[in-house]
Amino acid sequence: MKISKPILQAMALAVAVTTVGSSCKDGLVKPKKEEAKKEQQRKLPDNCPACGMG
Amino acid sequence: MIDIRSSIACNLDSHILRAALPLFADEKVGAIEWSFDALINQRSMPDWFGELLRTYSEAGCLVGHGVFYSLFSGRWTGAQQQWLDQLRSLSRTYRFDHVTEHFGFMTGADFHKGAPMSIPFTESTLAIGRDRLVRLQDACRCPVGLENLAFAYTIDEVNRHGAFLSQLIEPVNGFIILDLHNLYCQSRNFGVEPDALLSLYPLYRVREIHLSGGSWAPSAVEPGRTIRRDTHDDAVPADVFRLLKQAIDLCPNLRYVVLEQLGAGLQTDGQQSQFQQDFLWMDHIVQTANQIRNSLINHSFLPRRFHVPDSSPLEDPLLYAQQLELSDILETSVSCAQAQQRLAGSGLARSNWAVETWQPAMLETALAIAQKWKNGFD
Repeated sequence: MKISKPILQAMALAVAVTTVGSSCKDGLVKPKKEEAKKEQQRKLPDNCPACGMG
Repeated sequence: MIDIRSSIACNLDSHILRAALPLFADEKVGAIEWSFDALINQRSMPDWFGELLRTYSEAGCLVGHGVFYSLFSGRWTGAQQQWLDQLRSLSRTYRFDHVTEHFGFMTGADFHKGAPMSIPFTESTLAIGRDRLVRLQDACRCPVGLENLAFAYTIDEVNRHGAFLSQLIEPVNGFIILDLHNLYCQSRNFGVEPDALLSLYPLYRVREIHLSGGSWAPSAVEPGRTIRRDTHDDAVPADVFRLLKQAIDLCPNLRYVVLEQLGAGLQTDGQQSQFQQDFLWMDHIVQTANQIRNSLINHSFLPRRFHVPDSSPLEDPLLYAQQLELSDILETSVSCAQAQQRLAGSGLARSNWAVETWQPAMLETALAIAQKWKNGFD
């Protein structure tokens, strides 16, 4: 499926500046650089399990 | 024409998104599966992720995959009602092509803690599961389905799982997510051929297939034995791809094949590259199947009419007490032997749980799973 360029660019920027990722905690992928830098100071949490709970 | 869509389990996780970005850019991702309840704070969602969801939603290619509904809890809780209310609200924002949940009850003390564990297949659990599915469908107003569980204590559970799933989804005319790695775990842990396991499922009811990887855990109570676990932290095994090739032609109502992996297993460039290769190989199998597929088959998996949930959710106080007791035993026992001893003196002894028949290595695995997730993501 075709995804618009602005979405892809925003996604690329977000993952480029974010080192912490979790869909469950407040350590979310951040759209802005300064927010991402703050996140870098935090402990890396377990990622969202989705259904990988085995 | 109704094609099968190559899909990704896509959550707001930097490692998953980094691994998936080239696939999105190359227009390879036909649908996304979103675990809508894994995001505690909806307001934290960046605009672009909302736009990504909206893009797939508007194309009818967004599916929801719940984790925390705890379908078989013997007691109905406020958290479950809140979960449904959130889903009802999200379903007004996004159009889910279908919504699914996991089989089992959550061992955790509250939402976002614990892991789904199996339950006895009884009239009571059947009735509770059906009641919860009707409520689920009432909230999302779309087809609903359940995923087969990877974990089992005994071969008897493995043999009966498909038939019980079939009974559960019957009132809502629901469907099954056939998780092939879960099937692979059962095949390896109980010494059953994958073909034999496939034959135990109503494959015409499969609308979605999951692929993932996992890990091997050595058993301390059965030295020399290793247990396959559905940890979603490694590449898809070749045997699971072989199973996909086999299963895809046996599931005439299949719409989605979803690659799942945890962000924790996608931290290096090598892991991300492997994820992309796994997706492309999965997509090759899907597109090959699409070329020879009978496009006239299109089961809606919607009921003739939506059921109105009973005003009082079904409950089973004895089942709930047993679940609490089991959760405590699994989360706090320091060894398999201690867990066996506590189970023998518990309300689960000589009951429908058949704890006396549980394989020691699988009980040991249940302890590991429950203790891994008892604090949620902390």
